[in-house]
Amino acid sequence: MTRTALILAFALLALPAHAQCFADYKAKQDDPLRLHYGVAEISGDCAVGNAERQLRQRLARGGWELLNVVGVFGPDGLDERRGSAGPNFLRF
Amino acid sequence: MGSTKGAAVPDQTSSGSDGKTNRWPGTRVVGFGIAAVVGLLALGAAFLFLNLPDADTFDARVERIFIENDDLTGAAEIRLLEILASSGTAFAEVLQSYRVIIFILMVFATALLVTSLVFLVTIVALNRRMAEIERTGLEVNSLLISRDERVVVLNTMEFKLTEAAIETLAVLAEARMDDDILTGAEIEAVIQGKPAADCDEAAGATRIKRLRDSLGNQMVSELLVKNIARKGYVLAIDRNVIRMM
Repeated sequence: MTRTALILAFALLALPAHAQCFADYKAKQDDPLRLHYGVAEISGDCAVGNAERQLRQRLARGGWELLNVVGVFGPDGLDERRGSAGPNFLRF
Repeated sequence: MGSTKGAAVPDQTSSGSDGKTNRWPGTRVVGFGIAAVVGLLALGAAFLFLNLPDADTFDARVERIFIENDDLTGAAEIRLLEILASSGTAFAEVLQSYRVIIFILMVFATALLVTSLVFLVTIVALNRRMAEIERTGLEVNSLLISRDERVVVLNTMEFKLTEAAIETLAVLAEARMDDDILTGAEIEAVIQGKPAADCDEAAGATRIKRLRDSLGNQMVSELLVKNIARKGYVLAIDRNVIRMM
């Protein structure tokens, strides 16, 4: 009984760290100028700085240049951004 | 300037050198003018090529709008922004071609300016030269004295002279080449081979008079054989044009 309670307590404590983190960002391609708004999943620390680092690398592989990260949010923020991101929803 | 100097010393050589000193600053002014025109063109071209916006300016503007407005994230809005950027790029390309056209026109304008400047200066120089020639009446480019044939060729005109007259002319020509001015007595002395002190001034003057007479045209010879007051007689031509045969 105490063991299961302890496991539950740990699981609850660990939950925010394991929670999925997403970021929405703006990126571009030059010549001709192409713009792109997208949503991507971020691993690790759920912060704008971390998201920027990860997204810059991932987007560069796809030939895009990151302009800025608008914000980070949890899974509950996904639905309202699905429409705007369109084909770039969880693309990178 | 030429006329005042000409009055003091009615000498062809001095007015010739006047012409040279007048022309030299003229060419320098032309050089400065052409340099100024070319410099203006270079300046204009630099401004033209530096100040007109290029395609990236429009793209950067659109990019900034995209970054600054977080609600411009819809697919349609993004597509519109891209169209805006591409139309800006197209406009920049048009500007590029205009720039080339403007530059070509500027080159043409400069060429015309330079040409007109050169022609203007040439006309001024020619006018000055014409005025000089009109004032002189006779421009002697070559004086050829042939003692054997007793002929003197002035430019292209040939004059037959008497032995005495050709002698006088030859003496004057030799004196002119040495930049000497002979008095009547000295002329007589050279011809007679006697010291000048033993010779009569009037005899020399008579020789000059006969030379002028035998050259026929009183005015032409007056222009050619100058009498400098209290000094003597001299040929009013550049000494470089004289050749002896």
